[in-house]
Amino acid sequence: MENREVGCQIKELEKELGIAEGSVSFEMKDEILYLEGNLDGLQIMVDFCHKAAKIPGVKNLVSHIRTPESKPVVPVDLEPYQKKGVLDSVDVAIIGAGVTGCAAARTLSKYDKKILVLEKESDICEGTTKANNGMVHSGYDSKPGSLKALCNVEGNAMYSQWAEELGFHFNRTGSFVCGFNEEDMKAIQGLYENGVKNKVPGIKVIDGTRAREIEPNLSDQIIGALWTPSAGYVEPYEVTLALAENAVDNGVRFLLNTPVLGILREGDQVTGVVTDKGVIQTKAVINAAGLYADDIARMAGDEFYTIHPRRGTLVIFDKENRGKLHTFAGKAPGNYTKGGGPQETPEGTLLWGPSAKEVADKEDMGVDQDDLDFVIEKGLELTKNISQDTLITYFSGNRAATFQEDFVIENSKKLHGFMHVAGIQSPGLASAPAIAKRVEKLFLELMPKASVKADFDPIRAGRKPFRECSNEMRQKMIQENPAYGRIICRCETVTEGEILDAIHGKIPAHTVDAVKRRTRAGMGRCQGGFCGGKVVDILARELKIPPNQVTLKGNGSEILKNPTRQSQGGEQE
Amino acid sequence: MRTAELVIIGGGPAGMAAAVKAQELGIQDIVILERDSHLGGILQQCIHDGFGLHRFGKQLSGCSYAQIFVDQVQKKGIQVECNTMVLEITQEKKIIAVNDKEGLMEIQADAVILAMGCRERTRPQVRILGTRPAGVLTAGAVQRYINMEGWKPGERAVILGSGDIGLIMARRMTLEGIFVEGVYEVMPNLGGLRRNKAQCLDDYQIPLHLSTTVVRVHGKRRLEGVTVAEVGPDRKPVPGTKRYISCDLLVLSVGLIPENELSRKAGIVMDPVTKGPVVDDQMMTSIPGIFAAGNVGAVFDLVDYVSQTGEQAAQGACQYLKDSGKNVLEHSVKAGENVSFVFPQKFSSEHQKQAEFYLRVKKTMRQATVHVWCGEKELCQKKVPFATPPEMVAVKVPLAGTENHSITIEVEQEVKG
Amino acid sequence: MQKEYICIHCPLSCDLTLTDDNGILSVTGNTCKRGEDYAKNEYRNPLRMLTTTLRLEQGDSKLLPVISSDMIPKEKLGECLDLLYSISVTAPVTSGDVVYKNILNTGVDILAAKTVVMQP
Repeated sequence: MENREVGCQIKELEKELGIAEGSVSFEMKDEILYLEGNLDGLQIMVDFCHKAAKIPGVKNLVSHIRTPESKPVVPVDLEPYQKKGVLDSVDVAIIGAGVTGCAAARTLSKYDKKILVLEKESDICEGTTKANNGMVHSGYDSKPGSLKALCNVEGNAMYSQWAEELGFHFNRTGSFVCGFNEEDMKAIQGLYENGVKNKVPGIKVIDGTRAREIEPNLSDQIIGALWTPSAGYVEPYEVTLALAENAVDNGVRFLLNTPVLGILREGDQVTGVVTDKGVIQTKAVINAAGLYADDIARMAGDEFYTIHPRRGTLVIFDKENRGKLHTFAGKAPGNYTKGGGPQETPEGTLLWGPSAKEVADKEDMGVDQDDLDFVIEKGLELTKNISQDTLITYFSGNRAATFQEDFVIENSKKLHGFMHVAGIQSPGLASAPAIAKRVEKLFLELMPKASVKADFDPIRAGRKPFRECSNEMRQKMIQENPAYGRIICRCETVTEGEILDAIHGKIPAHTVDAVKRRTRAGMGRCQGGFCGGKVVDILARELKIPPNQVTLKGNGSEILKNPTRQSQGGEQE
Repeated sequence: MRTAELVIIGGGPAGMAAAVKAQELGIQDIVILERDSHLGGILQQCIHDGFGLHRFGKQLSGCSYAQIFVDQVQKKGIQVECNTMVLEITQEKKIIAVNDKEGLMEIQADAVILAMGCRERTRPQVRILGTRPAGVLTAGAVQRYINMEGWKPGERAVILGSGDIGLIMARRMTLEGIFVEGVYEVMPNLGGLRRNKAQCLDDYQIPLHLSTTVVRVHGKRRLEGVTVAEVGPDRKPVPGTKRYISCDLLVLSVGLIPENELSRKAGIVMDPVTKGPVVDDQMMTSIPGIFAAGNVGAVFDLVDYVSQTGEQAAQGACQYLKDSGKNVLEHSVKAGENVSFVFPQKFSSEHQKQAEFYLRVKKTMRQATVHVWCGEKELCQKKVPFATPPEMVAVKVPLAGTENHSITIEVEQEVKG
Repeated sequence: MQKEYICIHCPLSCDLTLTDDNGILSVTGNTCKRGEDYAKNEYRNPLRMLTTTLRLEQGDSKLLPVISSDMIPKEKLGECLDLLYSISVTAPVTSGDVVYKNILNTGVDILAAKTVVMQP
């Protein structure tokens, strides 16, 4: 498409959205639309970009449009960090330890290559992944032919094998999209046809009575539903940890607390990454940086997409609701961002949400009243017999969406050895196995001579949590190690032994949140009121640091400040 | 399998009082199962005075109150298993517990007293918005860090909730050099006792803001501040009243909930108002032989009452062991005018001529009278010079002549206060 | 001049008003004699119980809770704490043991509020 035609379309968009003509300037190059200018607000910018991304011929879109919420980008001077010298030399550096980065690491760990995963936070799974609702979508709603649609259906099917090899909880109990009126049912029919095109197995439109036979606590007001039996549920942090541990089993190393500040090149070949701790020489870089993938792409000189954070709030209800709901119950989509609905997690808590709201700041993971109201009202509308009193917590995470609203999985055309795995938002978790498969194919394009190691072992040897063991198994565990006889978290029945295993695990848990994600200590109804202090004590003892250096989630999140006056000192009387 | 005549779950003030009383009543084979490393329960961290005025007639600290019972338990040689967590109680009174010495243990009890106490309500339960940084803690957690571990979880604190724990912690933190910016209370009235406001807030010029609450938490990693707002009668923020306060510690004193996961698992009938088991005047639950004492049944304001219910439960257990009595949850005690709940909820006139009931009033009243009715017949009345929701009222009721009817307890206000 | 107090003696928490008419003190709002005494004391020499913790050596807990044997002048609480925070106690300790005698010449002792055995 010629620039002149794109210009006309941009002008029309400005008119449509009531924006002054000429507010946005553009450049179209290699099917990428680059936008600049100033707009009055975040939502209008997002709407504009979404529409512009749909202009025929636009493969992807970069927005440098400024809004009042925009913060200035401060360029980093790499020199002092490069001066720190070479920290490591590897074949593949993966940036980001979310589910995408860890899945890539685990899949590539079968090859005879040195692989290092770099993560800016204090633990794996600290970004988008941890605030995911854990749904393995069936794949009825992605645009047929999109990467999302392809990866979702394929990834969903691969989850059974993943769960078996990696030993994580996976319940394939199906999902609903519920209709309350004829209009909803029309939308559901559309989703059904879409799902058939995407080859979603077992997809069906059923009536309300049948839906309540499968899920008795669905609202009596529901007249019909889209039913996809292939949908399933996992704990996203458990999946990510399992992937990371199996990657470690097969030789992958992880470097936490290490932000990437720059990408090094010689000619058009990538040669390394600059971190805050020094340079890591590498032959290949995989950009799985989630919300920050666009920043990393810019560092690589290949910025052709922009990540706009779309926040989702999740609400968790007490396990006493276990069994009231087994499957996901969504609502027929009325608008662009549909959000989620109630479901049961593999741990037996109820999870409602997420909501969907565009936010300006990638780090803005707060919860607002409207987020909470949205999730709770929707949950109450879809279900019955569930009391709000049993709410135990809520939190938010940000989806890493591009304006094209599709995944970007490809090798860079501008920098050899650099791979983009970006725009991985819902259904990114469901798609993760298929994304990893594509990453493997792209990796073999970069390193065609890579060969599979003879000793690659895809099986992760996991230990069953104490709470799930039979009393005989528990007795055996305690005989082996008395630490399994000390219950630290009462709400979730977590033992000191399990906390020690987490702290000294393959991906060591060095923060209270990291311990929580691995063991569930503090995840229950008292939210760490009883066990918080004990976990701090155990971490301090095991890491050989004073308790006031133990953090909730990395540097700057210390839980304790100073010793009280009497404990500071004092003479013997 | 081990057996015991009486197993008491929890070695806090309710459990210890029950054990001591049960032994005095002749029960020989008693075991206390305690999850902490020491007896005493939450009193271990209550170093402040104000305990035991009713029972011992003097000002004790929580620690010294507990010590009196610890000494008695030890002197009487009552068996105590510390560091022992009960995982399950069955309807047949089989207890499955775990510790690091014996591993998993099963104890078949003839009678069980539940004395697990209560836990604190948390931040999400009061719907505070914003981020999830370090530095937001319940008052109990802060109390434990300061009084038992010797660590300050912050240097500049805001307290939400003016219940007694919030007030006590305002003073305690101030004495430890933590600046307390203020105490915020969503209700239009003080949550705790006025004398605690006098000696905990007024003595240290700590401001109390009524009808004001924390609406938002700020800070990504560590708490940086909170937004407070005044609330209207609907407890919703009033537009235009928001104020940002810089602080690194938010202390939540927003209520207590009885800990009844074990009771629920055992299938015991629960009261949706007290959030504890429904019990009769012997503290017996819906499962014959299983009793509930102290805060596990209803949250009490005074430890004296907690100990007292422990003793009542011990008496009940003793009676049960003698005649392995039938389930007597038969006659209801109803909360009448101005009463939010009555504990125990049931009674049986079989064993006792009179029974003690505890109630909470709905509003503050001066010169009030408690009336106990059985149909048209007034069983008794009690003058209460001052009644207020934070304080429970105890009333002894003669049960003769109730003839298997339910009774109603109401409070009448004579002079508007 | 007039001063207002909330009586701390019992749950009634009476609102007390004290009037100083050239050295002659009178109290209203009280329902008992203790209220009158309390207001007068608050005006002349307010007294408070002291509770805190002390550093504990060789005990099976880190800190020892203590309580004063009687009330202490309110304005001396800070000084008492400064003094107590500069000392430490060694286990074993029995509840009721005097850990500091006649603190700041108030005639009040500081007592252990808990029995602590030695660390095993």
